Amino acid sequence: MDFRPLTETERRTLTTALRGNSDRGLALLMDRKDTSFAGTAEEVPDEEVINAIKSVPCHY
Amino acid sequence: MFHGLSRKARDLAADLTRAPAESPHASPATVEYRPIERIVLTDDVSRTLFEEYSAHRAGQRGDEEMGWVLLGLRQSDQAVALATLPASSDRDAGEAHVWISGIAQVLASRIVRQDDRRLTMLGVVHTHPGSLRHPSHGDLKGDREWIKQLRGGEGVFGIGTADAETDKEATPTGTNPKPHMQCLGALRFSWYALAEGDGQYRETPISLTLGPDLARPLRAVWREIEHHAERLERLARQQAKVMFEIVQGHEGPALNATVPLAEPDHALRVAIEGKEVRYYYEAGGDVFQADLPDASPDQGIYLLLAELAGRK
Repeated sequence: MDFRPLTETERRTLTTALRGNSDRGLALLMDRKDTSFAGTAEEVPDEEVINAIKSVPCHY
Repeated sequence: MFHGLSRKARDLAADLTRAPAESPHASPATVEYRPIERIVLTDDVSRTLFEEYSAHRAGQRGDEEMGWVLLGLRQSDQAVALATLPASSDRDAGEAHVWISGIAQVLASRIVRQDDRRLTMLGVVHTHPGSLRHPSHGDLKGDREWIKQLRGGEGVFGIGTADAETDKEATPTGTNPKPHMQCLGALRFSWYALAEGDGQYRETPISLTLGPDLARPLRAVWREIEHHAERLERLARQQAKVMFEIVQGHEGPALNATVPLAEPDHALRVAIEGKEVRYYYEAGGDVFQADLPDASPDQGIYLLLAELAGRK
C-alpha cells in the first residue's frame, strides 16, 4: 500500500469532491482494487473533452 | 421461545434489506440537463476575451477571424464558463473563417483539467470582422452536428464584433445593451445557445460572476504549449500520471511535465522554457540534471526511463 502524502492537486481534488458530497450528495468513486479515491460522479472523462475539442468545426 | 427468536431474526433481516428512507443525500446526484437559460461568465473570462480580442485586432492578423474554446461547468439550466483557450498562433483563419482548435488546445485542456475534472467543453467563441452579431449559416451547419456530443446536447456560442457604440469621453466600463450582449469600448460579444434539433441559435442572457479564467496562467507558456503539444500530449496519453505545471524558469515562465517513478518521491521532470528543454531526475530530495541534447520532451523522458531501468 502506498502511504505517500497527497500532492497538492490530489488534495484539492479530494477536498472538492468531499465538499460536493456533503453539500449536494455527489457520489465519491472508489477504486475497487485498493479502495482509494477514484474521483466523483461529476467528473468528465478526458476523452469526452478531447474528442469535443478535436472535432470543433470551422467557424465562419 | 424459538419462534420468538426466529421472528426477531426475520425482522432484523427485513430491516437490513429495507430500502433506506428518502433523504436529500440518498442517491448520488446526477445532473438533469435542461435547455441552457443563462450563460455565466467569470470576470476573468470576460476580461480575457475582451483583452485578447482587442490585442488581436491591433495585431498583424487583425482583419481575420479569431476564436477561443470555452471550458466550464454545465449545470442543469446554465453554463458557467471558467476557462478560455485561444486559437493557435498558426491557425488557419481568414476574413471569413477560423479553425479554432487543434492539438495545443487538447493539451491545454488536459493541463487546466488537472485541478478540476468537472470542467467540460461548453462551446466556442469566434469573431466576425464585420458587424454580423449572429453565427452564420455556415456556423449552424457545423455546430448542429458538433453539439450532439456536448453535455445536454447543447453548446454555447459567442460572437465578437467591433461595432459597439463608444463614448470616447467616458471611462470605459462594460455595458449590456441587450441581455445576451456585453460591450466594452468598441467591442461586443453576443451570446447564443444551440441545442440538438434546434433550427437556429437562441439568444441567451449572460451574467457576470467573480471568478478565474483557469486557462489564464497558460498564456505565459503558450508558445511552449504550441511548440511541443503533439509530443507532450502523446506522453500524457502513454504515462497516466504525468502532471504539468507552470513555474518560474531560469529567465521566465517554464512549462514542467513530471513523470512520477515507482519509488516514492522519485520522478523525471522535463522543463521547457522558450527553445530550451532541460531534463531532471529527482530522487528523494536530490535533483540531477540530465544532458540530453536535441531530444524532444517525450523522447528525453523515455531515454531516461530506459537508462533507469537498465540500472536496476
